[in-house]
Amino acid sequence: MDTKITIPKGLTYAALAMIVAGAGVMAYSFATDASRAWANLLLNNYMFLSMAIGASFFIAIQHISQSGWSAMFKRVPEAFMAYIPYAGVIMLLIYFGMHNLYHWTHEEALASDALIQHKSPYLNVPFFFIRMVIFFIIWTVMTQMIRRASLAEDSHGGMLYFEKSELYSKIHIFLLALTFTMASFDWIMSLDVHWFSTIFSLKNFVAAFLHGSATIVLVILLLNKRGYFGEMNKSHLLDFSRYIFMLCIVWGYFAFSQFMLIWYGNIPEETEYFAHRWDGGFKVIFYVNFVINWFLPFVFLLPQVLNKNKNVVMTIAVLLIAGQWLDLYEQIFPVVVHHPVFGIQEIGFFIAFAGLFIFITAKALAAAPLIPYKHPYLEESLHHHIH
Amino acid sequence: MDNKHIIGVFDEEDALMEAVHEVKEKGFRIGEIYSPYPLHEAIEAMGKTSRFAFVAFLYGFAGAAAVLAFMYYTAVIDWPVNYGGKPTNAFPSFIVVTIIITILTVTILSLLTFSVRAKIYPGKAYILPDARSTDDKFVVIFDKSLLNGKQTELEGILKGKGAVEVYEKELKPEN
Repeated sequence: MDTKITIPKGLTYAALAMIVAGAGVMAYSFATDASRAWANLLLNNYMFLSMAIGASFFIAIQHISQSGWSAMFKRVPEAFMAYIPYAGVIMLLIYFGMHNLYHWTHEEALASDALIQHKSPYLNVPFFFIRMVIFFIIWTVMTQMIRRASLAEDSHGGMLYFEKSELYSKIHIFLLALTFTMASFDWIMSLDVHWFSTIFSLKNFVAAFLHGSATIVLVILLLNKRGYFGEMNKSHLLDFSRYIFMLCIVWGYFAFSQFMLIWYGNIPEETEYFAHRWDGGFKVIFYVNFVINWFLPFVFLLPQVLNKNKNVVMTIAVLLIAGQWLDLYEQIFPVVVHHPVFGIQEIGFFIAFAGLFIFITAKALAAAPLIPYKHPYLEESLHHHIH
Repeated sequence: MDNKHIIGVFDEEDALMEAVHEVKEKGFRIGEIYSPYPLHEAIEAMGKTSRFAFVAFLYGFAGAAAVLAFMYYTAVIDWPVNYGGKPTNAFPSFIVVTIIITILTVTILSLLTFSVRAKIYPGKAYILPDARSTDDKFVVIFDKSLLNGKQTELEGILKGKGAVEVYEKELKPEN
């Protein structure tokens, strides 16, 4: 059982090639249109960070609920968590693009705008970065503790690390609720500095959880196609597809709640958010966002014929990754770039970050045995069977 | 009428399922399986299929369409009222009601469908071959008249697969 996976050389080189090619496009992008480049940087880094955060929440929930079924897959979400410190370093680079991204950093806006002045004790550049550093330290430390407990279990076994994992997970989700809320307020919501929505962070958190889970399922199925996870059966697949199904409904619920209340209340300082996102060609994205992130997963994962089919579930997972990109595009681009753009820059940034994410997670995945062979619930997981 | 049945009682789900697969292979017809919780595998093994999920989906679809049509009729066609300048067809605000009524429709109609198909109604006398299947035992029954004298073979298989008890019982006919 003590099997480590070997990352094919081709994948490593492909990931590095993606990073290099993407970096070239990034350099070109910063030289030509800096605002668009910063928007892309924020979008992609936040996107892959939220996958890692979603994965850390996924594994924390498995620990807290003492789930048996998912025990053998826990190395995959663990590998995702390795991206968090790298995302932190990249996020710090935002310092050089503050003026391009955030209206509230402009001196003249601060001087003339009463609302920005009112928010300035919280929304100011030094405190913004102090918070950012605190968030990343908390996330890195907590995910490292969960990971270490899991690795220590491999060499020692017994119930001690199982209980430790549960305790760390409880602390982690508590801290995550606070820090991720503030992080999404800071990084994404403050782009529209005059606008506020209390459900915003919840929606973005559910999006992270949904897309993190979808990516976990995608990676597990890809590994399965290559011959790993031989014990994976229909019941596991059904549980995974139901997980995505459930989360896409929750995502739809929160996204729609935010929109519906603002639409119904029709208060100018709230509706301006959607007014921006309906003008100038963005409206189509608003609808496509709901179709990709809610409607298609809902319809395709509903019949059991489809949700027990690996190819269908994989297609939906890929679609959801595109959906997350689009969801963030809708949140970031209307305020930073003002008109819908899609071109080599968007593709280049995505490829670079995807390459980095693949490189880091593949390395983390290969660093430990793929199956946590001393996990107390491993037997249950291997013979998982839905009644 | 002779309504004698062979009744096999099991402690474990796995033992029951092994026995079920074995007797199926030998060509016995399973009368019914009783278990403390639903066993999808047993339903499949008995060759029963269910269109219930599809029917529930149709109820939901019809319910949602009906509710939306009703709200459209009342708010737009029959009695349009201007609420703060909103369009009379305030579609986003219809959605919440639609979700709730859809769930209600599916629940009630599914319950009725199930009751009709399973011939269950309030006050119906229920026949349990072995009352312990409501507690912690798994029970499989066979119609004795269909066994063609292979009763000993059947009992042997059930016992061999770990039945804690195999006995014969006269069941009251289903009303």
